[in-house]
Amino acid sequence: MINKTEVDQSPLDIIRQNQRLEERANFIKAIFLDIFFVFYSILVLQRAIYYKFILDLREIPFSWGSILTIFLISVFIGTGWTFTRTSLSCKLFGIAKDNKVTKWTVEISGWFLFNITFIAGWIITKLSIVDLFSPEGVQGAERLFGALFRPEFGIFDDALFAMIETIYIALLATLISIPITLVISFFTARNLMKGSKITFAVYFVLRLVLNFIRSIEPLIWAIIFSVWVGIGPFAGMIALLVHTIASNAKLYSEAIEGIEQGPVEAITATGANKIQVVWYAVVPQIVLPFLSFTIYRWDINVRMATIIGLVGGGGIGTMLMQYQGLARWHEVGLIVLMIALVVWIMDYISAKIREAIY
Amino acid sequence: MILKVENLHKIYKNGTHALKGINFEVKKGEFLVIIGLSGSGKSTLLRCINRLVEPTAGRVKFLGKDITHVTGEELRKVKTQIGMVFQHFNLINRHSVLKNVISGKLGQMKTLNSIFGNFTDDIYEEAYRNLDIVGIKEKAKERANSLSGGQQQRVAIARSLMQSPKLLLADEPVASLDPATSNSVMKFFEKVNKEFGTTVICNLHFLSLVRRFATRVIALKSGEIIYEGEPSEIDENWFKTIYGDEAEEVEIR
Ligand SMILES: Nc1ncnc2c1ncn2[C@@H]1O[C@H](COP(=O)(O)OP(=O)(O)OP(=O)(O)O)[C@@H](O)[C@H]1O
Ligand SMILES: [Mg+2]
Repeated sequence: MINKTEVDQSPLDIIRQNQRLEERANFIKAIFLDIFFVFYSILVLQRAIYYKFILDLREIPFSWGSILTIFLISVFIGTGWTFTRTSLSCKLFGIAKDNKVTKWTVEISGWFLFNITFIAGWIITKLSIVDLFSPEGVQGAERLFGALFRPEFGIFDDALFAMIETIYIALLATLISIPITLVISFFTARNLMKGSKITFAVYFVLRLVLNFIRSIEPLIWAIIFSVWVGIGPFAGMIALLVHTIASNAKLYSEAIEGIEQGPVEAITATGANKIQVVWYAVVPQIVLPFLSFTIYRWDINVRMATIIGLVGGGGIGTMLMQYQGLARWHEVGLIVLMIALVVWIMDYISAKIREAIY
Repeated sequence: MILKVENLHKIYKNGTHALKGINFEVKKGEFLVIIGLSGSGKSTLLRCINRLVEPTAGRVKFLGKDITHVTGEELRKVKTQIGMVFQHFNLINRHSVLKNVISGKLGQMKTLNSIFGNFTDDIYEEAYRNLDIVGIKEKAKERANSLSGGQQQRVAIARSLMQSPKLLLADEPVASLDPATSNSVMKFFEKVNKEFGTTVICNLHFLSLVRRFATRVIALKSGEIIYEGEPSEIDENWFKTIYGDEAEEVEIR
């Protein structure tokens, strides 16, 4: 909707005003990013490289005071850097001066950031070739692998039953997720929701919540729910369900956002209302992708259900955990073998189904 | 007067000034053709008329009523009276031809009925009648995307006829068709225009089609009207002003 003030303004003014606003916004973003770059560099240089590597301290001294000092220094340097209009962020947001200085600072600071990140990563993971090839370590691994390759078939019935439980946990989580995800995904599709302020607010909040849920791994959800509803398949199912809804809602709504606009425009132009447009122009375009995502997700969920079992979500994972705790590697070998087989079959089936519907 | 456009401006969010003060009128029963280079603002103009695009400034009067600022139900009522046909047909590929045609009636249907596919016999009859007008009644049960381009565009015309439109907008309706098919599809617009007296505004690229079908021509160039007149008046000189020096610019780039 256009409002009155916009109509009365001269068109050229609007253009200029838009440009000014955009440039100012980019400049502010650049300041924040530059401050972050400087802050990050100082922290990595001081903590990982100086304290940990050069001084080789066990306990790294920590105080909010020093962090704050570093932050204030970063604000100072970062802002100054942006104002020279030659900083890395200026370049990223397209507001940098186009000269040699910019070219050099961008190259050097980019190279610098990459390297300190890599070195810090090396130090923090305690990368050690020595540990990987130490004789005792290799021997232990050999023993374990040997046992795994001679599986114990005595527990086959139990394992089969646990496996079926896992598959059903995955299936149920996937099935229940479908209607819920369907409804949610329409409210998290940008192109459908950007119309008014209210719908956009709904879109924004829902996205935020879903991103949050998705960023927590199913494993963590399983831990949460096994405390909530008690250890067992039910906890595992709910954990998977929650994560499936959050992930698939994103995929579904991206499919909705990626539809061809042509049919939507055509149906809108006939004077159809919003619901009719969605039903006639959006839905027919997304049925196949939705189906495909869902089947794929079932496949993923079988794998995840296994992992979730490790923390008490029931099924084959729980069984694996028990035998692993007893160090009965031959039994573990059988379970691992069965998991691999089922995952491989599921992968194959879901690929075939997805091929068939397209 | 069926349509009056006054001092219409459109500025897109990215700052493109696509229409720069357009003024023109359309009388009932006219076949108005808009020509101009790619990017001259033809599509934007049509879309501002049926409000697929919101004008930035100016006025659009349809049947004597200012529709520039109508919203909600009122806007939908206006849209039901204006049909639109697109370059890429914009049919629902997975639906049958018949269902595509019926979808032109959505604006006049109850939401629930349309969702559950409860269409009255009248609607089916009307759909078949409109398919007959464009000569593809026998394809009614086929999937829309199994038809050829020309046939799909005829389905799109039938769909817009379901609206019984007072005004029919066509945005380069034959630009993705071969010359022979183009001509036959254009004939259906002519038929609708002559037999039902529906006013047509059509964007076209080929001057041969313009001369053959238009009753009046408007030429756009970078968002402004640079020519308005009879199709027979378009001669070499006019062709040069509309397309010529732009072509040189293209070469420089
Ligand atoms: N959604 C949009 N956002 C930003 N700019 C747009 C948008 N649609 C069109 N434009 C710009 O507006 C100008 C006019 O575009 P328009 O599509 O109306 O031209 P046209 O005459 O229909 O061209 P064509 O013959 O290629 O269809 C162009 O410069 C185009 O880039
Ligand atoms: Mg166009």
